[in-house]
Amino acid sequence: MFSLLGGIFLGWSLGANDASNVFGSAVASRMLKFWTAAVLASLFVLLGALLQGQAGIDTLKGLTQLTLQTAVVSSVAAAITVTIMTILGLPVSTSQSVVGAILGIGILKKQLNVMGLGKVVACWVGTPIGGIMIATIVYQVLAFVYNRLRINLVQSDKLLRLSLIAAGSYGAYSLGANNVANVTAVFVGAGQLSVFSATLIGGLSICLGILTFSRRVMETVGKKLVRLDAFSALVVMLAEAMTVHFYTFVGVPVSTSQAVIGAVLGVGIVKGINTISRKTLTGILIGWVLSPVVASFFALALDFVIHLH
Amino acid sequence: MFDFFFKKQRQVESLIDSYLDNLKMTEKHFDEALNTCLDSGICDRFDFLTEQTHKFESKADDIREEIKMLMYGKALLPESRGDIMGLLESMDEIPRILELVLNMIKTQRLVIPDLIVLDVKELIRVSLESSDLMVKEVEALFKGSEDIRALVATIDQNESHCDHIERRIITKIFDSNLDPFQKIQLKDLIVNVGEISDQADRVSKRVNIISMKRRV
Repeated sequence: MFSLLGGIFLGWSLGANDASNVFGSAVASRMLKFWTAAVLASLFVLLGALLQGQAGIDTLKGLTQLTLQTAVVSSVAAAITVTIMTILGLPVSTSQSVVGAILGIGILKKQLNVMGLGKVVACWVGTPIGGIMIATIVYQVLAFVYNRLRINLVQSDKLLRLSLIAAGSYGAYSLGANNVANVTAVFVGAGQLSVFSATLIGGLSICLGILTFSRRVMETVGKKLVRLDAFSALVVMLAEAMTVHFYTFVGVPVSTSQAVIGAVLGVGIVKGINTISRKTLTGILIGWVLSPVVASFFALALDFVIHLH
Repeated sequence: MFDFFFKKQRQVESLIDSYLDNLKMTEKHFDEALNTCLDSGICDRFDFLTEQTHKFESKADDIREEIKMLMYGKALLPESRGDIMGLLESMDEIPRILELVLNMIKTQRLVIPDLIVLDVKELIRVSLESSDLMVKEVEALFKGSEDIRALVATIDQNESHCDHIERRIITKIFDSNLDPFQKIQLKDLIVNVGEISDQADRVSKRVNIISMKRRV
């Protein structure tokens, strides 16, 4: 059980950070109360993890052969990477950190599934692009329907609020289904956990992060993104959820932050406005490259330290 | 089905209905008071109706404050809250102007000379018609009952008509042999009555923008 602590910590930090990608824009702009968002996010994350978390776990555990020790090393390396990069204010992807750490171990043991890695990297590239494409399509389809509804201000308000809750819940489901592999896949690979236990423990640790520490992140990170009107926020949340859910079927954990940025860019394209600054984009790009590299380095360094004794 | 989610929204809707009913009552008492003044001068009936207008104006303030408190309690989406608060502030100018006009007559002991009585009656009629249409437009925003753009066009026409009447009355006042001091007093009064249709027009355009903003 003690060996799982690294994974649980990683799950906690994933929940604390990534819930803002699901409900952040709605909570930061006061469209939704924090506790409504947090409880819904926790429920749906757990549901997603339990029902569809297996595919990602199969992909990650297949990247290299893991022992309990290397599983702990990779999970702790990923957790350290996420923590340090968050403290430094750099955008970090938990999915990329975990894969980077597994990659470090794989290189060290000379046991790397190159085909599996290629699929994962292709999905990383595809995440923001998918976010852009899906947001563009979703915006136009929803706008077509919405503009034809004969509803007054209050009805429109109710409809948008219910849709935001539904889209956020779907986003949380996708987050749980897609990202639970980041938390506990290495322990399945090491034979420490069954798939069901991995999805349950992983899902619960993400929930813990959401319920205990996501408030500040939701309220601050949400405001760092461009302030969106309710309809655009709905499109972003829905596009992010659909993008991440798509990669759940592919079986690759991806970054919800990158899916959100892609979706916000997509909304900007449709509306003909600049939704993301060059500085934010540069930061995302740096995070995209640094997350796996730094995690690989930490995994190698930790393994080296352990083998000194 | 999801009504339990929207208790505050329902309260806001009901308070806005009360606000609009109250505005109609303020207009009604103002209309009666001013016509009483035009027909019989300042009398007890005029004083009573002025007092009633003041009561309804105060009640409008109370309802507006209640809506504001509900809004701070996070009823509706943030952009709707901002829109509704701005709309109420703007609409609230109308009862304020109505009360101001009656108080000008009452405190300055104004007597409307016969040469402008008919024009003033017409100005009041068109101004209050604009205000009525504005109320309908706000109801349309919240209930989707009428075509907002058609109402905007009519209110805009009324505003131009009122400007025309206002200029005509002021010209008549300054062409007359009235005391110069009385001319200034009457001009101020007419300018304030003319403000009713100007403000109704501003509110009407604001409602139109709020409605247009909801198209994506």
